[in-house]
Amino acid sequence: MERKKIVDDVFSKFNEIFGFYPESTGSYYMDADLTNYIKAAYPSVKCAIATCWEEGPKAYHTCNNSWYTLFDGGPWAPWIPSKQNTHAPAANKEDSGIVAIPHLSRDLIACYDGNGSNFGTHPQNVLRGMIYDTKTWEFPYLYNLIDQYRAQEKYNNGYAYNMMFVGPGWMNKMGRWEAPYELLLKSYSDGCKYYGDLKKEGKLIDMTMAEFADYYRTKKTYTEPECALWRDILYGSDKQIFWYTDPYMRAGVNMDQGGAIFDLRPYAAKLKWEVGIGTKHVQDASYPFLIQEKYRAGYFTHYAGEGTIRSAKICHNGEEVDLCLCRTKAQLSREGDTRILTLHPVEVEFCDLTVKLQTRIYFEEGTGTIRIAREILEMSNPDAEVEINEYMVACYGTTEYPEDMSGILLRCEGEEPEEIIYEYRCREKSAAGAKSVSAVIPAIGTKVSMEASKGAEGYIREGYAFSPMFTLGYKKKVSDKEVFETWLKLEKAD
Amino acid sequence: MAQAGKGRLNYRCPSCFMRDLDIDMFYDKEKDEYYCLRCQYTGKEADILKDNEQVRTKYKAMYQRYSEFDFE
Ligand SMILES: [Zn+2]
Repeated sequence: MERKKIVDDVFSKFNEIFGFYPESTGSYYMDADLTNYIKAAYPSVKCAIATCWEEGPKAYHTCNNSWYTLFDGGPWAPWIPSKQNTHAPAANKEDSGIVAIPHLSRDLIACYDGNGSNFGTHPQNVLRGMIYDTKTWEFPYLYNLIDQYRAQEKYNNGYAYNMMFVGPGWMNKMGRWEAPYELLLKSYSDGCKYYGDLKKEGKLIDMTMAEFADYYRTKKTYTEPECALWRDILYGSDKQIFWYTDPYMRAGVNMDQGGAIFDLRPYAAKLKWEVGIGTKHVQDASYPFLIQEKYRAGYFTHYAGEGTIRSAKICHNGEEVDLCLCRTKAQLSREGDTRILTLHPVEVEFCDLTVKLQTRIYFEEGTGTIRIAREILEMSNPDAEVEINEYMVACYGTTEYPEDMSGILLRCEGEEPEEIIYEYRCREKSAAGAKSVSAVIPAIGTKVSMEASKGAEGYIREGYAFSPMFTLGYKKKVSDKEVFETWLKLEKAD
Repeated sequence: MAQAGKGRLNYRCPSCFMRDLDIDMFYDKEKDEYYCLRCQYTGKEADILKDNEQVRTKYKAMYQRYSEFDFE
């Protein structure tokens, strides 16, 4: 295989010159096969730049479809890759033996909806994004970005990671884009100076990649998640999102959409996904999603069909309000091995009833499960009842274009289990008290299921060609002060 | 006319930038204008600089320095 020959070539050149093999390496993307090869052949390697966060179809588009770095769906901060899939963190001894770091520290909200290469700690990202004052050449955004990363230590056991990875080529004497050489140089030296100042103030420790790998291994357990509670620092909105990564999943939660899950990657499947010439994926290294609100719509669709999202509808007397339209904020706390995202209460107004409701989302370490609790705090008529419809609209893919959904197996585990094998016929099945509702997606070796508090009706729904999705959900009538809970579980399909 | 070349700086097309496309423009000496190969944008240097300021209006917090990142 060519990639291995390239590795042997550069590693032996390194050894010829320095007399030893390196401890760190890197590439735009390293698939598991390559990482495993490097670790076996050159055991000194302990750290690698293995991907860049959400540098996928959006980066490809920005470059007029001429930049083939298609790798969405990975962690945004360092992790220990599994032996099966580089994006998916190792859960145990499936440890690949290296610590992976992303190429840059990227803006976790701006890069998700826009071009990744405009919003990262590569100082020239901010020039590429034109995020500087043309008169003063100041760019507070870069420092806001670094500081927001630093602020994540609050949610990650007192640790936060940041890095700037730039070669001298970015300080081209000819300038780049609209920026003359002097501005390129300034962005680089000011960026370095900011890190330097933080170091002098005792707010930062600088490490080589190999030092960092050692530090990280003493600091992290396999199942400990990486969490980021992130706000917009560029567009002047108060939008807030939450990102969660562990060996079983990567999930994004949008507080501006009532706590809806807008991105979900089933790492639990530890999908074998070889990348490169001679494999099934010559360029596409992305870890597949079940939910991706930009590539498969989210709450809003044009006229027909549904987009991928995990939310809830509150229903009363024929009126229906989706929590995606309830803008709020959240705090993150921890109880034992569970991270709890507590959203501020929201009010849902019907023509004859107002409901105050609070959402809590529980991420339980090492379980591959997200528990979502909706609590009715108050109702303008305490005797009223509302129906909560907890739903997940999902599909699978790595790009904007739909994949073949044929053969996806939907199951509703009522007293008499019911099945739908996906044929685009928009069928639906439901069962009162269903033990679980699930979908098995053979193409990505993934099973996703939901369970609910007692007394709820489970349902499964197939889509059609103009809405190539499936839906899993539970409906339950709830009254004042009641809590309705559902569990979303990700597993490797047999 | 002679073929187009690159200008002093690699001005990108402001219209394409608005839709998340980075497209370097080329420079037509005879007309003294930059033009985009992908869309119908044309402009003098002064137009581009003005349009690039327009591009920045979406960054409403571009000049702001944040010290708090949560909403507690
Ligand atoms: Zn254009």
